[in-house]
Amino acid sequence: MQTVLTTSMQEATDALIGNLLASEAFIRYQQALASLNQDVEAHTLLEQLSLAQANLRKKQADNDVTQAEIKALHMLQDQVQQNTAILAYSQTQQEAVSLLREINSEISQLLGINFASLANHATC
Amino acid sequence: MENMEYENIEIAPLYVVLQAAHDFAAALAETPQYKTFEKTAYAFRQNQAAQQAREAYQQKRKSLNTLLMLNALNDEQRNELEQLQSDFITLPVVQEYIDAQAELVTLCQALGDALSESIGLNYAASCGVSCCG
Repeated sequence: MQTVLTTSMQEATDALIGNLLASEAFIRYQQALASLNQDVEAHTLLEQLSLAQANLRKKQADNDVTQAEIKALHMLQDQVQQNTAILAYSQTQQEAVSLLREINSEISQLLGINFASLANHATC
Repeated sequence: MENMEYENIEIAPLYVVLQAAHDFAAALAETPQYKTFEKTAYAFRQNQAAQQAREAYQQKRKSLNTLLMLNALNDEQRNELEQLQSDFITLPVVQEYIDAQAELVTLCQALGDALSESIGLNYAASCGVSCCG
C-alpha cells in the first residue's frame, strides 16, 4: 500500500531532493556517472574485472588458483584504479555519500531518531 | 533557493541543502505518525510495569545468550523466555508503542525510497545503515 504524504511533507521532500541534486557533490557525481557511461574502455575494464573476480572465486572454491591468475587479477585491478573515468566516478560517489551522511545527521539530530535506520528496508 | 554559479550550472550551497534537510525533519516531526510515535514512546518510558517487564525479558535473554546462539535451549528455558517476551509485548502501552513505531517506519521507508529514486543512490545504505541498523 502506498503511503500518502501530507502536503507539507511532500513539499519538504521535493525541496530536499531538488537541493541535493543541485549540490556541488551531486552535480559532480552525475557528471562523473555520465562520463563513465560513455567511456567504452572503462566499461570493458569493469566487465573484465567482474569476470576475473567471478572466475577466481570459482577456482578458489575448487582450490585451483594459479599465481599467474592472481597476478593477472592484480594487474586488472591496477588498470581499473588508474582509469580516470572510474576514478572520478568513485571519488565523486564518495563525496555524494558524505553529503548524504551529513544530511542524515542533520535530520536525525532534530528528530532524535536515526532517520536512515528507519528508512532502511533490509532486515537480518 | 539561493544559488551560486559554477561552470554555467547553478549550485545550491551547503547551508541551503542543510536548511532543506532541517525543513524536511521539521515537516516529518509534524506528521501524525511521528507525533503518535513520540507520544507512545514517552508513555512506554514512563510506564513502570512495561519497564519491569522489559528488564525481566532482557535479563533472561542475556542469561541464555550463549544457548540461544547455539540454538540449544531446552523446552523449559524456551517456554520461560517466550512467556516473558509475551508478558512484555502484550502490555497495551508496549503494543501501542510497537504499532506507532511500525507506522513511522513505513513513512520513513516511503520517504527514503522517494529520496533514493530521485538521487540515484540508496539513501539508507549510503548512510552506513546495514540490515542490523
